[in-house]
Amino acid sequence: MYNELIRLITQWQYELNRFIASNIKELKDESSLSTSLLIIAVAFIYGLVHAAGPGHGKALVAFYFTSNQSDYKKAFKMGYLISLFHAVSALVFTFGIYFIIEKMFTKNFQAFSEIAMSISAVMIILVGIYLLYEVYAHSKEKEQVIKKTAKSELMVAFSAGGVPCPGVMTIVLFCIVLGQYTLGILSAVAMSIGMGLTISLAGVFSIALNKKIGGALNKYAYVLQAFGALLVISLGVVLLLAQSQ
Amino acid sequence: MRFSLLVLLLYSCLLSHPHTFIEVYPKVKIDKEKRINITYKFDEMTSSMLIMELDANMNGKIDTNENRFIKREYFSMFKPYNYYVFIFSNNKKLPTKPENFKATIENEKLCYSFDIFYNGKLQDLYLEFGDPDLYSALVLKKHFIDAPNISTKVTNVDKDFYFVAKMEFQ
Repeated sequence: MYNELIRLITQWQYELNRFIASNIKELKDESSLSTSLLIIAVAFIYGLVHAAGPGHGKALVAFYFTSNQSDYKKAFKMGYLISLFHAVSALVFTFGIYFIIEKMFTKNFQAFSEIAMSISAVMIILVGIYLLYEVYAHSKEKEQVIKKTAKSELMVAFSAGGVPCPGVMTIVLFCIVLGQYTLGILSAVAMSIGMGLTISLAGVFSIALNKKIGGALNKYAYVLQAFGALLVISLGVVLLLAQSQ
Repeated sequence: MRFSLLVLLLYSCLLSHPHTFIEVYPKVKIDKEKRINITYKFDEMTSSMLIMELDANMNGKIDTNENRFIKREYFSMFKPYNYYVFIFSNNKKLPTKPENFKATIENEKLCYSFDIFYNGKLQDLYLEFGDPDLYSALVLKKHFIDAPNISTKVTNVDKDFYFVAKMEFQ
């Protein structure tokens, strides 16, 4: 069933990708507001569907919220932060490689993304260690809930969103090549917001699960929180090992 | 070894999802050599990115030198992924040895074309197109196949962590 879902997601992305490409190509004039808005709207849906496939930090966000009694707003805040980092990193990488290095785009992109992925993996491990530290620091307090700090949220968001998405970069570059700079930037933002929303849902799901079983496991809150932190660390280790192979 | 495989497996689940869409156009020619020509047509967005850097003299076509460069530097990158085509004869996997590689630009799309040769009975053969890393999605539709007087069948096959488009001869 999971694989069938992945196949459907892939099929939708294939159609959306074709739709966006053909519409951007037909758009000769950026002042054609209706077509531009349509492309931006479809880019948002493309982002939504794209992030539904494997990857994009959903596991990280889900693990982050595994054992924290957060509210749903936190999950959406996380999604938006990830969107922001996704969009900024994709735009910086694309414009940087295109205008500064100028050639060998795909090869340079691959080299940069390998470095970015390694940094991201190390950051994920650091986030996990920081979460463990928080558990330790609060372990003597009566309150069984560890409030997540803005610092750890930012670290998680940067770890997940800091690595530019090739999907976003491809749209931006396609627009640059066709001279549609504004549309490229807006499409990247729209796609990133779509991805952020899907990633948020992983957090929402995790929080909902936590709320459901949280009451029964209140006595073991710290154990659960430590478990969540260990999951984050193991995720980072797996990514780092894979990068080094 | 097992650990490495596990890591790779987890990695592909955590990071992969298609970013590139490749349409597959197989052309079957029954002659002495039983040649199957396969053309991979990249999606428009990926094509524009690749053409920008591979059509070095920007004349809108891939020249001999550019073709040589693409084969050496880019097409070779597909080798660890079996060139995205897995060949089976009597359910036994055969090595993929692409020949006569040629890159072209058709309707602003980048195409990679190559031949594979098969000496056995066509009915015993089937091809599976897919990327185990899920970075690229291979799209094969029945009407993409050019095989005069040969009946073919296309199905999507679940490979646990990715999908392949299976092309069978009947």
